[in-house]
Amino acid sequence: MKRTRLTEKAVAITAAIGSVLIMVTVIANTYWASRQAVSSTNQAVSAVSAFYLESMADRRSKTITNLINNNFDYMKKAVGVIDEEEIESQEELRAAIGRMKNILSLNRFALVDEDDIVYTQYTTYTGRSRHAFLSKKTLDDKMISTVFRYGSSKELCLAIPIDIKIMGKQFKACFVQIDINDIVDLLAFDDQGSTHFALYSANGGNLSETELGTLIGTQNIFDATKGNVSEEEWNSFRDDFASQKNGTLTFTINDVVDTICYQPVPDTGWELVVMIRGSVIQDQIREISEKSLAANHMQIAFLLVVASLFAAIMFYMIRRVAKEKLDEEKENSKVFKSMANTDSLTGVRNKHAYMEMESQINTRIREENVDKLALVVCDINGLKYVNDTKGHAAGDKLIRDASALICDFFNHGSVFRTGGDEFVVVLQGKGYDTKDEVIADFNRTVEENIRKNEVVISIGYSAIKPEDEQLHDLFERADRMMYERKKELKSMGAKTREFYEAGS
Amino acid sequence: MNNIFRKFLIVALSLVAAVASSGYSAVGGTKADYTESVVDFEHNLDDYVPAKTNYNFYFTYKIVHPWWDAVALGMEDAQRKYLEKGIVITYEYMAPDAASYEDQTRRLLEAGEGNYDVIGVDVADEEKISPVLDEMVALGNKVMTFSSSDAAPDCKRIAYVGNTHNYQDGADLTEALCEKLGYRGKVGILVGSYGAPCHEDRAKGAMDTIAKYKHMEIAAVEYDMDSVDKAYELASEMLKDNPDIAGFVCCNMSNPVGTARAVTELGSKAVIVGMDHDQEALHYLKDGVIYCLGVQDCYSIGFDTLQVAVKIADGNLPGDLFPDKTDESTTIIYQEDAQSMLEILYGDVSQ
Repeated sequence: MKRTRLTEKAVAITAAIGSVLIMVTVIANTYWASRQAVSSTNQAVSAVSAFYLESMADRRSKTITNLINNNFDYMKKAVGVIDEEEIESQEELRAAIGRMKNILSLNRFALVDEDDIVYTQYTTYTGRSRHAFLSKKTLDDKMISTVFRYGSSKELCLAIPIDIKIMGKQFKACFVQIDINDIVDLLAFDDQGSTHFALYSANGGNLSETELGTLIGTQNIFDATKGNVSEEEWNSFRDDFASQKNGTLTFTINDVVDTICYQPVPDTGWELVVMIRGSVIQDQIREISEKSLAANHMQIAFLLVVASLFAAIMFYMIRRVAKEKLDEEKENSKVFKSMANTDSLTGVRNKHAYMEMESQINTRIREENVDKLALVVCDINGLKYVNDTKGHAAGDKLIRDASALICDFFNHGSVFRTGGDEFVVVLQGKGYDTKDEVIADFNRTVEENIRKNEVVISIGYSAIKPEDEQLHDLFERADRMMYERKKELKSMGAKTREFYEAGS
Repeated sequence: MNNIFRKFLIVALSLVAAVASSGYSAVGGTKADYTESVVDFEHNLDDYVPAKTNYNFYFTYKIVHPWWDAVALGMEDAQRKYLEKGIVITYEYMAPDAASYEDQTRRLLEAGEGNYDVIGVDVADEEKISPVLDEMVALGNKVMTFSSSDAAPDCKRIAYVGNTHNYQDGADLTEALCEKLGYRGKVGILVGSYGAPCHEDRAKGAMDTIAKYKHMEIAAVEYDMDSVDKAYELASEMLKDNPDIAGFVCCNMSNPVGTARAVTELGSKAVIVGMDHDQEALHYLKDGVIYCLGVQDCYSIGFDTLQVAVKIADGNLPGDLFPDKTDESTTIIYQEDAQSMLEILYGDVSQ
């Protein structure tokens, strides 16, 4: 199976894509979790609000029921007390009614005789047309009714049948009338303004004249909600009022969603309706939810920042590593190249480098692009003898000394070691211009070295001529000249191979 | 909110009073939305300082009926306000189930035997009751008349509080009817109790008005004795006997209710004009069955009656403190006023 080479770029891309995927997954997961939290919170809010509303409605309904029951009890007690008093005049009866009214805190406490004459603390009046419960000749059981008085005030009338005789007259009923405003005050006592509530008759009329929020206000509740809920819900809502049932209704008016909870007030025909809008519970829970959501958003933002930072650092590090590797590779390549073209013993360029140079110069010669070019051929005298007699280490030293001497006079980069004891110097440009002085100095030094018994180098040189076709043409002329020089140096006392051979 | 509304009501009423500076009622007013000034529920006691701290009164009126229940509420308001000042007022407010001068005479004579500071009466029969009142005054009783019916002009009663313009109310309602009918057609007139001055005066006003127009005639005049059922029967009979009746003039509170029921049931297009603020009548007005209603300010009648009674009890006579006749307003309202009137009087149009 053929295996594809894994590059750094591929690794980096894979790492980047992986990081992005992980980041996206984590963020999506966090976002989904936060949405779920919001949804769950909303459900909880609805449930808690509905529960709170139901609880409020139920408690208030019971408050009214307790008020009614207490009044019934007080009426019975008051009638019992009055019955025991030996009342002989209307003045005494009025006084007794007044006492009971004050002691038991009864509103409009009155007795009714068999002729439907109503007796109160201050007035006595014929009441058949005024009190609906007197339309029947006899009152069989306690009765609760709503009184809509001329002048728009509304009262709750509680009546009980009685059977007592006062001043020789048979009395048939006792009743109290409670102003609905007093009931509203009682209900509002523990409200602290956190809810809206109102009392409604079965046909949706507002009895308490309290505003059920700003949108419904004091309108008939059926008129206010019609068109803002489905017809089915609205009809069901009406039916619940007619049949004294409890329930909830959610509706939208002017894009504001409201929920009301209604609870019948037993025996009165009333429905108590409670509404929370912008209430404590919803506000508080929503605040908690929003805080949680904000924390989630912060988490997401933090994660994004950290991930971005991490990705940036990773990207930077990968680039840096890649660059360093690239630089190292370049350096290695340079070293390898240098090693390939340098003579390890002397540090000057080697035969391979000379051949490359020769090829380039030949191209220029062919192109007639050479102006100043000269070649110096150098040969170390007595190297073989030193190698043979003093060892290769001494021979190597002699080569290094020779190379150093050549490099003292010629540019280091122009010097090539082309054989064991052979060096070539290529002179171009400035080196070409000064060749004659340099060569003359070099030869004087060599001649002094004969006397000092130091390294002796024979050199020959040649400048390019128009007929030259290649560098080798120059080399041959220089090489011949070098042999001539060698002989000349021999004559000056320089030790040559022959000398060493003869001496041995 | 009610207080604000009531304050507005006072201002509105003051304006109406200023306009009606002749002392005459607002009858014949325009169809403007003046329902808020029809009944004044916001009253305060005047500056008069009662001489005693306890008063006991006796009031009797023609018949047990919601109209007088409305008067009673005004009286109770005044009684509470006196109580707040430390003045205790007790009173009886009694009436028979059916209007009867005999019953009223009996009640008055019994009251004359009692210990009452003032005896007030809504005269059931001007001719029969006025002499009784004179006799009571001669015996030292302080007697006043109130609500809708005063005694005869020469009666010795001390003062009257209530509607002083029943004749004109009848005339104005009938004028509105005639205009509506284009001054032609048959008209049935329903009256309340025989001899009740307010009813009789309105009926007379109605008859005199019809008599002005040669193309109008009276089909019948009947008395329902302040019974809605009786009014229904009478109106039904009139419509059967005279299918071409174009309109009805109803002179009391029960007349328009019974007549509207009959007109509705028989599918008649007869135009109805009538008196007072019965809730059912107001609904008929709202529905267009009744053309217009003359609404009296019962609440103010009750309140002012008690104030005048206190002054009379202290030995005062008509003059600077109170007039011989304290006039209370009547306002004609039309279909467009019905809903707000229902809300003002009964709290909710849908009740």
